Amino acid sequence: MASLTSLSATTVGAFTAEVFAAHLARVQHLPAWWLDRKRTAYARFAALPLPKRTDEGWRFSHLKGLSLDGYKLADPINHQQVTKQDLGAPGAGTLLLANHQLVYAEPLAAKFAQQGVIFTTLQEALLKHSDLVRPHLLAQPSKLGSEKFVALHEAFLENGAFIYVPRNVTVDLPLGVFHYASGTGTALFPHTLVVAEENAKVTIADFFRSSTGAGAQFACGGNDLYAGHGAQVTYLAMQDWSRETLSFQFNATVARRDTRVLSINLHAGARQARHESFSQLQAPGAHSEMLALTIAHGSQEFDQRTLQIHQAPNTSSNLLYKNALLDQAKTIFSGLIVVDPDAQKTDAYQSNRNLMLSDEAEANSLPGLEIQANDVRCTHGATSARIDAEQEFYLESRGINPTQAQELLVFGFFEEVLGKIENPQLHDSLAEIIREKFKA
Amino acid sequence: MSLLEIKNLHISIGDKAIVKGFNLTIKPGEVHAIMGPNGTGKSTLAKAIAGHPSYTITGGDVILDGKSILAMQPDERARSGLFLAFQYPSEIPGVSIANFLRAAVQARMAEGEELDASGYYKKLYSKMDLLKIDRKFTSRAVNDGFSGGEKKRCEILQMAMLEPHFALMDETDSGLDIDALRIVADGVNTLRSGPLGILLITHYQRLLDYIVPDFVHVMYDGRIVKSGNKSLALELEAKGYDWVKQEFAAANA
Amino acid sequence: MKPITEIDGAPASASPVVGIDQTAGNFSYKVDYAFDAGTGLSEDTVRYISSVKKEAPWILEFRLKALKTFWDKPMPTHWATKDLENIDFQKIRYYLSQGQKPKRTWDEVPDDIKKTFERLGIPEQERKFLAGVEAQFDSEAAYSNIKDIVAKQGVIFVNSTEGLREHPEIFKKFFGKVIPTGDNKFSALNSAVFSGGSFIYVPPGVKVAQPLQAYFRINAENFGQFERTLIIADEGAEVVYMEGCTAPKFSTSTLHSAVVELVALKGAKIQYITVQNWANNVFNLVTKRGVAHEDAEIKWIDCNIGSRLTMKYPGVVLKGERARGEVLSIALANDGQHQDTGAKMVHAANNTTSNIIAKSISVGQGRSTYRGVVHIPKHLKGCKNNTECDALLINTNSRTDTYPAISVRGDRNATQHEASVSKVSEDMIFYMQSRGLTEAQAMSLAVNGFINDLARQFPMEYSVELKRLIDLEMEGSVG
Repeated sequence: MASLTSLSATTVGAFTAEVFAAHLARVQHLPAWWLDRKRTAYARFAALPLPKRTDEGWRFSHLKGLSLDGYKLADPINHQQVTKQDLGAPGAGTLLLANHQLVYAEPLAAKFAQQGVIFTTLQEALLKHSDLVRPHLLAQPSKLGSEKFVALHEAFLENGAFIYVPRNVTVDLPLGVFHYASGTGTALFPHTLVVAEENAKVTIADFFRSSTGAGAQFACGGNDLYAGHGAQVTYLAMQDWSRETLSFQFNATVARRDTRVLSINLHAGARQARHESFSQLQAPGAHSEMLALTIAHGSQEFDQRTLQIHQAPNTSSNLLYKNALLDQAKTIFSGLIVVDPDAQKTDAYQSNRNLMLSDEAEANSLPGLEIQANDVRCTHGATSARIDAEQEFYLESRGINPTQAQELLVFGFFEEVLGKIENPQLHDSLAEIIREKFKA
Repeated sequence: MSLLEIKNLHISIGDKAIVKGFNLTIKPGEVHAIMGPNGTGKSTLAKAIAGHPSYTITGGDVILDGKSILAMQPDERARSGLFLAFQYPSEIPGVSIANFLRAAVQARMAEGEELDASGYYKKLYSKMDLLKIDRKFTSRAVNDGFSGGEKKRCEILQMAMLEPHFALMDETDSGLDIDALRIVADGVNTLRSGPLGILLITHYQRLLDYIVPDFVHVMYDGRIVKSGNKSLALELEAKGYDWVKQEFAAANA
Repeated sequence: MKPITEIDGAPASASPVVGIDQTAGNFSYKVDYAFDAGTGLSEDTVRYISSVKKEAPWILEFRLKALKTFWDKPMPTHWATKDLENIDFQKIRYYLSQGQKPKRTWDEVPDDIKKTFERLGIPEQERKFLAGVEAQFDSEAAYSNIKDIVAKQGVIFVNSTEGLREHPEIFKKFFGKVIPTGDNKFSALNSAVFSGGSFIYVPPGVKVAQPLQAYFRINAENFGQFERTLIIADEGAEVVYMEGCTAPKFSTSTLHSAVVELVALKGAKIQYITVQNWANNVFNLVTKRGVAHEDAEIKWIDCNIGSRLTMKYPGVVLKGERARGEVLSIALANDGQHQDTGAKMVHAANNTTSNIIAKSISVGQGRSTYRGVVHIPKHLKGCKNNTECDALLINTNSRTDTYPAISVRGDRNATQHEASVSKVSEDMIFYMQSRGLTEAQAMSLAVNGFINDLARQFPMEYSVELKRLIDLEMEGSVG
């Protein structure tokens, strides 16, 4: 029936069954269990409708911008076409994936490899370490409204990075992963999976960039963090796609007993970016910090949805999302803290701070709480304001001109998030990137 | 000669007149103390001269080194040699003292001229030592989590680094215990060796034991009603402000 | 359709849900209802109501249009609780009255009705504090008394029927304009079957010294209350209005769906205070909104202690420059109760400010939810909002949810929202116990301390009542 095909055309856009088949052909060599999951995922993707105005999980979003038309699978690329990326700090290893292909690698330092640390592409991991990957790869449900796009991601996931740290191993230098999208209309599905066993310690920095002059691209990426008993995981992500790209990013974190997970997301790119971040505090002593910093220019739209679920007693979570809005940009922050009935002695905090730097910017905040245990301390707060006039005057009264004063204050605003990066070189290198992005 | 001339200045907040015809000339090296009961316009005077947006100048002029500053933005006034030491200094989270001062010092340099980093730090540390501020404070955010005394010392540190021609000091002694007061006063006094003119606003006489003024003016109902030297301050201390209010009322009866 | 037994089966609470002594409200009298529209809702019901009130044709038309809107609109269960589906509209009585004209003095009120008020514990002395009392009994004003001073000032204080009949030139202008019929399903229902409620007009510059009050009662099985209130404060006028209500407990649901519209013209001030204490089987779904013009102020002080489900989001549209809107809300949810309340602030002019302070207490298995909307569009400047919502959870399975939505455009406006959830601090309880207080007394003090800042804004007789209500709620919750 003509109407059915036109219906599926709107809900699958460029990602038709034919295109999916072409994708599957590229990854045929991967394990059967994974290919089966992808097929199921594709069916789910095709069946689910696009978000509509009455969906609570998409309140305030610009739904018309979510069209899936006009994209294509990534073309192969060789390393000569890609500029080598720099972590900006000494690291334990680097992977650079361009259009899903590994084009450059600084292999994992020997001392870590010897202790059993694995740092490789996701495809390698699926082939060689299936047993480690399977329990954790996209294992968490999607609860924030993007079921359709998460299914799309799973169906078309081609490559990414896999980091595995065995028990009691500390990787004291950061691991860098660069995901690079080249070519107009390219659809990229990057994924980074981190598994830290008991008492492991690791820092990962994930960078997402488009080739210069890339134009409109489609990025649908995911990231799973699993922190076992006593593990400490720091995850940094810098989203810097081209300004015409439609971007999705799904973070899922599982924190087991006595863990410390720190996740810092920096957003500067894309025309419209949806970021969903989900933390599960599953066992006593778990602690998850979710931080984000967004610089919104032009008519960019950053849509951030978060969920902190406390499922066990004596857990804590702390969320700080800061947005700097310029021009006619728009941000949406919707965060929910859920405390299960047995999760007594939970401490959960959530804060959204929007710095309005122009006449026409728009900030929307939907902080939420669903609390079913009573011996808890939970707060959430959201503020939207321009630069504090008193602070501005204070700086100017020292001779600093208004533009510079504004810059200093905006960087001060950013520092609350950036300051959480413990590695000083990494901090400085990211601070510099943010500074450039702000001035652009 | 470098001069700060305040001529028949009228200042309002909204449509409420606060300062009603204030006149004063400050020469380099002079310390003029302004005393008066609360609500009489002392802070308003200082903040408005520095260019605070909440205040409107409705009449008169302020002339710094021969040029009227009323049309200048706050940062221009500061670069012209004016410094305001706040009564309640702002906290600036995320901006370190080192970065902040460097930006302020750099702002005064000519286009293209670069700050000499080692020279800058040498000077910064020596001033910090003088004001008994721990050198580690350079990496702390400006006034963030500082005690009252620490904030005031930070104001004087900035004054020492920026070397203004004229300083408006707004109740610098408020909230300080005797030790902190002494440190702050010492800091200010070392700056007096240069050609610095100071407008020292204070409610209490105590500060003037440490920073001895050349002139004392009493401000009431938005203008100066009495002037004298240090002994006037002692007289006020003994008689209280009611004495001034009565004199003023009698004069206007 | 959910079976009735499900409602019957609500757990007999370990903590007695008692109101001004809520047991004082759990009774009903066999009364002769001279006018009874029967159960169920149809066009005939609406025509019957209109004819009994001898309404002008335009009002009947208004009602009929509203009925159609009501049928067309779906239940808002995509965001609200599914418990709403338990309301069976055909099982409710929509109009009931003794066909009595409003009374002028207390002495003229019939004995059995007097008995009702006496059992409610309204002391006779209280009357001298009241400027006028419009007491509603089963949809019709049974008692109305406007004190001379107020009448002499030109203040009009009548019920909705009288207001529309005697003063259409004043009320028609704003009636149905602040809350249009189609605003939501329940405002449409009210617009179809409304009866009773207060219509108040305060002339320019008149500041009404005493608060105006009204009491309500539901007294028949399956009977819903649909009062309609419209208060207009003309330029520079000031008025305070208070409403408090109780209802008896029955084994099937009852429905209270009121509409309150406030209009504060230039420089006017309206304060609307509600203490709601319906019995545990009442669905209390109210739409309340005010429009504040230039330099005007509207303040909603809302206290929700009773009912099975209350959904109420008092709102203010800040239409004129420098208008101010405020919502102060206290909610207490005990076993079997869900207080779903909040506030809506819509800024539509420069330099307007809004303030929302909501405090909720969840006891036993009670559930309290805060929903808020703050909207500041981009062409405005100088607007400010401050929102604080704090929740106190008393027992281990008490529950609270918070869902605010704040939308700000431009760099010339500022909003601030803070919310917190906590339990009563053990240290605090221990400290009080070490001074000789029992745990229950300590809890009471702590809870009263939690709401103290808000409770102080209620007129004194209400804050005393509030304190007693909370003490009684807390009694069963500890130990």
